[in-house]
Amino acid sequence: MTPLLERPWPFPVILALRYLRSTRRDAFASFLSAVAAGGLALGVAALILSLAVISGFQSALRSELLSRTPQIEVELPPGADAEAAHQAVLAVPEVVSAQILVRGGGWLVDQGKVQAVELIGFDGPVPPSFPGAAGKPQGLYVPALLASRWGLEPGQVLEVVSPRPTLTPLGPQPRVRSVPLAGTYEGGRTQEDRERAALPRKVAETLLGNTSRRLEVSAADLDVALDVAERLPAVLPPGSEVRTWQDLNRPLLFALRLEKLVMFVAVSLIVGVAALALVADLALVISSKRPEIGMLGTMGATPAALRQTFVILGGLVAGSGMLIGTVLGVGGAWVMDRFRLLPVPGQVYFLDYVPFLVQAEDLVLVLLLTLVLALASSFYAAQRAASLDPVEAMRR
Amino acid sequence: MSVAVRTRDLTKTYVDGVRRVAVLKGIDLAIEPGEMVAIVGPSGSGKSTLLHLLGALDRPDSGEVEIGGGSLAGLSGAQLAGFRNRTIGFVFQFHQLLPDFTALENVMLPGRIAGREPRQVLESARRLLLEVGLEERLDHFPNQLSGGERQRVALCRALVLEPPLLLADEPTGNLDPESGETVFNLLLDLQARHRTTGVVVTHNPEIAQRCTRILRLDGRVLQPY
Repeated sequence: MTPLLERPWPFPVILALRYLRSTRRDAFASFLSAVAAGGLALGVAALILSLAVISGFQSALRSELLSRTPQIEVELPPGADAEAAHQAVLAVPEVVSAQILVRGGGWLVDQGKVQAVELIGFDGPVPPSFPGAAGKPQGLYVPALLASRWGLEPGQVLEVVSPRPTLTPLGPQPRVRSVPLAGTYEGGRTQEDRERAALPRKVAETLLGNTSRRLEVSAADLDVALDVAERLPAVLPPGSEVRTWQDLNRPLLFALRLEKLVMFVAVSLIVGVAALALVADLALVISSKRPEIGMLGTMGATPAALRQTFVILGGLVAGSGMLIGTVLGVGGAWVMDRFRLLPVPGQVYFLDYVPFLVQAEDLVLVLLLTLVLALASSFYAAQRAASLDPVEAMRR
Repeated sequence: MSVAVRTRDLTKTYVDGVRRVAVLKGIDLAIEPGEMVAIVGPSGSGKSTLLHLLGALDRPDSGEVEIGGGSLAGLSGAQLAGFRNRTIGFVFQFHQLLPDFTALENVMLPGRIAGREPRQVLESARRLLLEVGLEERLDHFPNQLSGGERQRVALCRALVLEPPLLLADEPTGNLDPESGETVFNLLLDLQARHRTTGVVVTHNPEIAQRCTRILRLDGRVLQPY
């Protein structure tokens, strides 16, 4: 192996590498270095794990949520020609499918039991926002939980009631239709989904009239859907409202992002504390090497070269901490996700384990933040070495 | 290679608490290329301060230092560092070797600071250490060397880049008489062979006698001894 001094590396690199080795022999300096590197490793691992758990939940929640909300929802103005709008939307490039829906409030009634529901009338097969029933033929679909609670079987006839009155000789009466149950869908575990019922559009229109009609539009994927949504208003009747999956879930998506940000800032404090330990470590090394630093100055080492030396030394300590932290964080997240080591009750949450998802941009952010903090700390400490007066430094 | 050293009306004052201590009051000095000048004087007479000013380690309050015809005034910290690296070799009373580097590596340091090619620096360092009789000690760390050996390594380190000016501050002050004698003989020998201009600050009259000229720093002015 080529001796260190004979390698064609810049002088500060050579000096920093040798100092890294020598501090390992000094028990107290190596203890402080270990504390700084260990602290950074802990901070990096904690940041990676906490962001991974939030990303994991976000990703699970998003797919759960987005399976129940349309990619694009268009609310047509009253009296608009829904069929014409439907055809116009289908002609827009990158639109994969579009469906006319009628929505409104109502009740399901069975032998004196009543459940308030949002009635959704659709054409063609059941839309994808009814998981477990999507693609099945037309008919009445209710949440599986409701069906089991009421002991409903397919083919059983339910009464669907609308608040929209019909004038009769006896005064206004609610509209009632008897509809046979076609099946159930997985209502999910959120309150909102328990209160929807799908039924054929013709039936829904007789109950609700044709005032509140919507189009649900799908594109190839969520990002394409956002582009498509911008092109839709041009082909729709004036007064139409276009809402994307982002608009529909804005409060939740915002809350998820905010949660992640707050978590990131809070856990970053560990890295901040470790960076302070790095300052202490470098300050100790610099003060124990004062006479040497002075001698290097008399030999012509510039303040910049001395500063670089200790920034590199700090970078080496921090780099080893970051490497360990990354292995711990990414490895830990992978193991816990792969082997589902953190179970949660599936009846309460929509998942039965805590998911971990390490995202590349999170990892880059964590490492960048740690690197910047570590280098800033090293720079601060190294400034002391650079500003030493050689003659003063050599006095013991 | 050697250079002439000139100072003109050099003054330096230290503030000690509230008291101002004038250490150097108008020093005029002229050293010819290749000369070996001893500066003697009682403690506190400003010998080391003068040496630091000559070595671009400190700046005078007024007056000027010229080395090889160029003034040091107006050079930045980084420029002074580069100047020291190229022009001046220092030997101090305490060897000031870096404990984490072997004897050979310590001698190589100035060359590596200068950014010289490693093989070439290695050869110069090895040759010098052979010249001072340390061929068996190249890979020893400073704590494995005797006091005299350390000071010989320090001497090699000062001369490895063949600087035109050698400044020595009590180079034998920390050695027993015998080692001191060896080191100073080597210093004189190397200085003569490399035709380096030299300035030695010393308390030791025997050492001073062996220089080409002795200047006495007393009453804060230089006088021929």
